[in-house]
Amino acid sequence: MTLEIAQVYSQIEAMATDVKKRQADYRQKIDLALQTIATISKNQEQLERKIQNARTTWLVAGLKGKAGIKHPLKPCPHDFMVVASDGSQIDVDRHQSAHLFLLNIGLVRLQYGSSPDASFSSIPTLYFREDEMSIRSHDGRQTPIEGPLLGIKRGVEECRFLADLVDEIKMNLPVIALIDGSLIMWGLVGQRYDDFVIDALLINGFLKQLDRFAALNHRRPTAVASYISYPRSADVVNVLRVQLCPHEPVDCDKYCKGKFEGRECDSVGGLLDRVLFNELLAHGERSAVFNSSSTIVEKYGAHQVCFFYVKLDEEVARVEIPLWVADNKDLLDLVHSAVVDQCNRGFGYPVALSEAHEQAVVTGADREQFWSLVDRVLNDNNLSLQHSLKQTSKRVKWI
Amino acid sequence: MDLKQRIAEVVETSNAEFMAQCYNLEGAPALGSMVKTKSKDYDIYAIVYSSSTHGIDPNRRIIARGQNVGSEADIYKANPQLSKLLSTDFRALIVGYNKGKTVLQYLPPLPASIYAFVYPCDMDEVRDFTQSLNFLSLLTDARLSVSPDEVITAFLRYASQSHPSPDDFLVKAGKEIAWLLSNDIRRLDSILKRLQR
Repeated sequence: MTLEIAQVYSQIEAMATDVKKRQADYRQKIDLALQTIATISKNQEQLERKIQNARTTWLVAGLKGKAGIKHPLKPCPHDFMVVASDGSQIDVDRHQSAHLFLLNIGLVRLQYGSSPDASFSSIPTLYFREDEMSIRSHDGRQTPIEGPLLGIKRGVEECRFLADLVDEIKMNLPVIALIDGSLIMWGLVGQRYDDFVIDALLINGFLKQLDRFAALNHRRPTAVASYISYPRSADVVNVLRVQLCPHEPVDCDKYCKGKFEGRECDSVGGLLDRVLFNELLAHGERSAVFNSSSTIVEKYGAHQVCFFYVKLDEEVARVEIPLWVADNKDLLDLVHSAVVDQCNRGFGYPVALSEAHEQAVVTGADREQFWSLVDRVLNDNNLSLQHSLKQTSKRVKWI
Repeated sequence: MDLKQRIAEVVETSNAEFMAQCYNLEGAPALGSMVKTKSKDYDIYAIVYSSSTHGIDPNRRIIARGQNVGSEADIYKANPQLSKLLSTDFRALIVGYNKGKTVLQYLPPLPASIYAFVYPCDMDEVRDFTQSLNFLSLLTDARLSVSPDEVITAFLRYASQSHPSPDDFLVKAGKEIAWLLSNDIRRLDSILKRLQR
């Protein structure tokens, strides 16, 4: 027997009651948030200083313009190209016969305008050599690539293949390169990875690839952006919390340690940015551009992560862009209009990302086929196959 | 056989028929037309009996997209990925093969090779093949997913155009079918009515 649905049912009902109760005072918070964001333009500089000096226990967005401003949608160029990548993986499995992992990167190129065209591809890469299976430092330390670290490695490879794809484009068209998820390598935050791991994956990995996009932008207008559907971030709402905080300078630990309710900032606390911008923006409009203040972003240099929210048919999405895109008005408009256009064509989600996912996906059946192929080839080469007994017990069901 | 002429590739094969995937979307040959493909040592002739266009991934459903566009072509223009996600294929019933210069109107010893290229037959080939009508029994006896009588009449109308006197050809073919279906007058009547011009 597995999950006793009948037993869970009453707990689900209790949850629904709780959600209903919270939604009632949610409305009040939204109204106050809207009022607060409207007042920011009057004391923008003062607030910027307050944010700079603030010591908060939550992430506060940096302001790059007036927080409450709305930017209308501009039309897409007549001819342009959208490229996207996504990836999936077969992780190291110590219960299997071989020590390896596989990355499958899906790539999509969609050309719009006078010569519509499309190309799809997926590139599987098997990693099995000793030096590929871990990240090594100069002084002999090593960290195995598996689990969450493999997810980060995959993100780097998605970006690398995407840059390769843009590099191969011969036509002189504006190009928007879309990545699924965040530009911020959250996986490296707070995990206490050694510096050599961060250097390998971020400095010499992901950021090197972003450098390539920036260089390609000198050849033709090239923007890179990441798309987050249904974001759970509250960086902008946290700006409002700073604004509402009566303490100067703001210092959560000093004034409010151990408090989780009753603080002035709690009058908007708990709101998500997407809820705020769903009220504020009209369809197609984007918010102002903000900076991320995540500690990892300090390492991003010219690629410092900025973001904006955009209102689509069914949701508010978060779009992240490097600083060099945010500071280039034409590229920023290009990202804004292309993202909205992609979502319109893709029934609410960028069609290029959705097709890249289809190219990348490794199904359960694919996994089984992969491992049985590994076993067969090892067997054909007279190599002994050793599975864990746990693996055997999963394969052979018995009573 | 010229590279430009190939229209499809065999993706499912058996002694009696094959399925071919077209290189161009909606690029299937007409119902009842004749195509040829290769086995190891010979060319195989077959008659198209059905074609379909569908999504390549059976788990993805095709949805309507044209409510706000001017024409069907605009749908492809606005969604260039569609041509890579959709596929047209057709099924063809084998009616003979050639051994050297001899055309044999019965099933080949081996099926067409998988991935074999498929070409449309030109009218000279159709005329040469239909000098004899012994293959018609393969059509009348076939169990197909569409009415074999529709396929027979479509093929005969098409093949008649390759002959100097299409009417003479149809009369000859009608007599052959009358003999083959002498014990099924209703079916014979239905085919002959469809053949009348």
